Amino acid sequence: MMWLTFKSPKLISSALLSKRLMSLGCLLLLAISPIALRAQEVIKPDLAQLENSEQWQQTLSQAQGETVYFYAWGGSKPVNDYLRWAATEIASRYKVRLRHVKVADISEAVSRLKAEDGSKSAIDLLWINGENFSYLKEQQLLLGELWSHIPNSAMLATQQLSLVNDFGVAIDGFEVPWGVGQFNLMADAKVFQQNTLTPSSLLAAAKQYPERITYPRPPEFHGTTFLKQLLVALSHNDQRLFVAATTQAQAELLPLLWNYLDQLHPLTWQQGKAFPSSNTEQLALLQQQQLLMAVSFNPNQLLKEQSEKGLPASAVRVYFAQGAITNSHNLAIPKGAQSPAGAKVVINFLLSELAQKHKLQGSWGDPAVITPLLDEASTLPAQQELHSSWQQVIEDKWQQKYGA
Amino acid sequence: MATKIRRLSLTAGWLIVTLVAGLPVFGVVVGLWPSVSISWQDLMVFLAYNGLIVSIANTLLLSLAAPLLAFYVAFIVYSQYRFNPRWQVLEKRLAPLLSLPQLAVALGLVYLFSSGGMLWSALWGVFGHSAPDWLGLPRKSLLTMVLAISLKEVPFFLLILSALGRQLAIKDWLLQGRALGYSEGASWWLLIFPIMLKQSRLALLAAMAYTLSVLDVSLLVGPNIPELYAVVLYNWQTGFSALDQSQAFIGNVVLLAMLGVLIAGIYLHEYLAVRRLGIYAVMANPLKITKLSRLFTMWLGFFSLLSLAILIAFLLWSLGWTNNSAGNTINWSFALWQDEWYFMQGPLLNSINIAFFSSVLGLGLCILALELQQQSQRYLPDYVWLLAILLPQLSMVYGWQVTHSRLSASYNSAWIVLSHLPFTFAYSYLVMRGPFQSLNRHYELVAASFAYTYWQRWWKIRFMLLRPALLSALAIAFSVSIAQYIPTLMLGAGRVTTITTEAVAIASGNQQSITAVYMLVQAVLPFIAFLVASMLAQRMRGSFNAAYQ
Repeated sequence: MMWLTFKSPKLISSALLSKRLMSLGCLLLLAISPIALRAQEVIKPDLAQLENSEQWQQTLSQAQGETVYFYAWGGSKPVNDYLRWAATEIASRYKVRLRHVKVADISEAVSRLKAEDGSKSAIDLLWINGENFSYLKEQQLLLGELWSHIPNSAMLATQQLSLVNDFGVAIDGFEVPWGVGQFNLMADAKVFQQNTLTPSSLLAAAKQYPERITYPRPPEFHGTTFLKQLLVALSHNDQRLFVAATTQAQAELLPLLWNYLDQLHPLTWQQGKAFPSSNTEQLALLQQQQLLMAVSFNPNQLLKEQSEKGLPASAVRVYFAQGAITNSHNLAIPKGAQSPAGAKVVINFLLSELAQKHKLQGSWGDPAVITPLLDEASTLPAQQELHSSWQQVIEDKWQQKYGA
Repeated sequence: MATKIRRLSLTAGWLIVTLVAGLPVFGVVVGLWPSVSISWQDLMVFLAYNGLIVSIANTLLLSLAAPLLAFYVAFIVYSQYRFNPRWQVLEKRLAPLLSLPQLAVALGLVYLFSSGGMLWSALWGVFGHSAPDWLGLPRKSLLTMVLAISLKEVPFFLLILSALGRQLAIKDWLLQGRALGYSEGASWWLLIFPIMLKQSRLALLAAMAYTLSVLDVSLLVGPNIPELYAVVLYNWQTGFSALDQSQAFIGNVVLLAMLGVLIAGIYLHEYLAVRRLGIYAVMANPLKITKLSRLFTMWLGFFSLLSLAILIAFLLWSLGWTNNSAGNTINWSFALWQDEWYFMQGPLLNSINIAFFSSVLGLGLCILALELQQQSQRYLPDYVWLLAILLPQLSMVYGWQVTHSRLSASYNSAWIVLSHLPFTFAYSYLVMRGPFQSLNRHYELVAASFAYTYWQRWWKIRFMLLRPALLSALAIAFSVSIAQYIPTLMLGAGRVTTITTEAVAIASGNQQSITAVYMLVQAVLPFIAFLVASMLAQRMRGSFNAAYQ
């Protein structure tokens, strides 16, 4: 017992000190940046109003004692650690238990929702985007009006980030953005001369370092995004890529990509006779010095890998010169969720400044989606996502041309 | 009255057994029922999938070659070790060899032996060069895949052969062979191989069905231009669009057809092999393979070394070793173990709990199935009992899940045990069938003449003689239950997590260090089961060992 009583005052004082330091820092920051200040001013009263609203108070009291089963990909230790941290915070603040159900592929959760067919669901919350979201929304398996029911969604940086569409499908309140992905490459320092990338500089690098460059095999979505980035660059940002893919547009634009890949593939890893199955496998190959680059959707992943000694300090981050394809990854609640109130409380917490900051600064490094924490300096120039119809077209045609 | 009760219990027995064997069919029918209508056009799209033929051919080749290769190696090893003091050592070491997860073996192989893998880097590092690319295992190819699968299946077949061997009068036959003038090596091939091959049909089928549909290993080391069939099918199955769903339906039907081809393959191979051996026996040609057999006396050493290398590599990764760190800059730490240990205890206990009940129940039902068949003198075809292993798991479990949520059932371990039962039942059946059928009835006849009742005979004679095989079956069923991911996740819904649901999810991230931690822990449970089984089995004797040792 002795050590407990001995240690606790020290703990409190250090916590107090750091809190004081933090508020000082915040004050300084506010003083320096008038824009942030204005943003704060606009949002704050709004937020307080929302938080005090009867509806939200009701949600909070309903949520007490609930257990929220959160289906999310479990392959990343930083993400798992982050959710463990969030679980303890949420438990002490709101008396809600957050359980991370780790899945190898989120399609397992989608398949469960399909099996349940809108009835009572085992899932309270899930981490999705893209095709899975569009399927669930279309099948009407998701709870709507999340944005208006969750106070902290008022802080979402909808002006600065494209958070209203998910791979070309309108979000319409059926999911809430949690973080932002920006497509980039982590590469050995010697490979690319600049921090931006063009198809020709990529080809030059592949020529200089044969069999050291590759991308995940489509339809893995990192691989498909890599092809989308190339297509945007090769077509000089042709506007037809951002509307439904007509046969004529396909016939005119896609050959640019295939001609390029015809040149690139003989120079890639295993001469294009095999591709990594995923971005994580590609990263492992980079770490084993089999490759000189790996793709990522997290603009801060390089820094985090370097601080964990996963990649050498000399490695660099590069992105496509037209801008990095940017999209959000999101949180959604199934219609049949058993603890919808608890799930809303969890989302609200995950959007809070505290949680978003911890996500950005902790080992995960996933960029924030709320205005107070928006860091324009470290945000890559964004490239609009292609219209969703192009995804299927690119994947199918790629399979036809290079799949066998 | 007595006959009435007996008939009733018989009916009840059949009912229970049919239920377990029928669950897979039920699951597949519900799960595979097309949610979209299938048209000719869908079939055309399916057939037009680029690389489909190559993918199917590759997958069939792999599923035939890898298990057969493993079986041959296992048989040669068995023949070299069986009547040799080294057999005891081998039996002891089977436990660790069996307990490494398949994914761990594949991971270990490529990370150690591919170009740029740990081993070559370390060797060449001594000379200050990087290893040439042509040296080492290709990262993604059919060859690596065949190697990864067959390496792991050899200990499995050794266990099967060892359980079989305890019930067969091998020594008798070898003696008869010698009396006919054959060398011992030739006798193994001419007399024992045919019967062992025949009795291993089920095991071969199980290994082939597994290879046909294995996903994680295919993604990691399988060729992907074109991909193996399991991966193609998985992409459709998880695509959810109407087109994908119709493709997935056709794909599953094709998968079943491929299974049919594999079954035919087993019989064809058996026919050819036995005919070939028959010709050798008649012509008295020298068997060249017996010369080769001597090489396999080194198998145990080789395989132990390989397993050890994999284990050490995993241990190093879990303690902070990376490919980037040069010798002196590594921060060895147990931090990862300490971090994760707290979160592993619950899943570990759940795993043990579920595996215990499902393996004991599965084995019990399997004995019931064998006993009922014996009594009614009607043996159903083997594949009826092995449906859980043979049918596509993803669709099957999806069907169970649909039913489970229609019943609005709760999520607890009992449902998971039930979902594991068909699998533990099927694996127990494939281990037990051979020993059960080749059991020498003579002893029971003698006991009956001493007025032992039916139950006394059963417990005191048959059960005792079957003990070694029962232990092997229990250990295999236990490890099969431990390894289940899809049924556990789908029916446990995250309320009941096991070490495997955690390990598989984490391994999907390809982070060496943490994957290593979970793979090692996942390997511990089957390791204990196999170790206990092998230690107990050495103290017990099967029906023929009783007479000869």
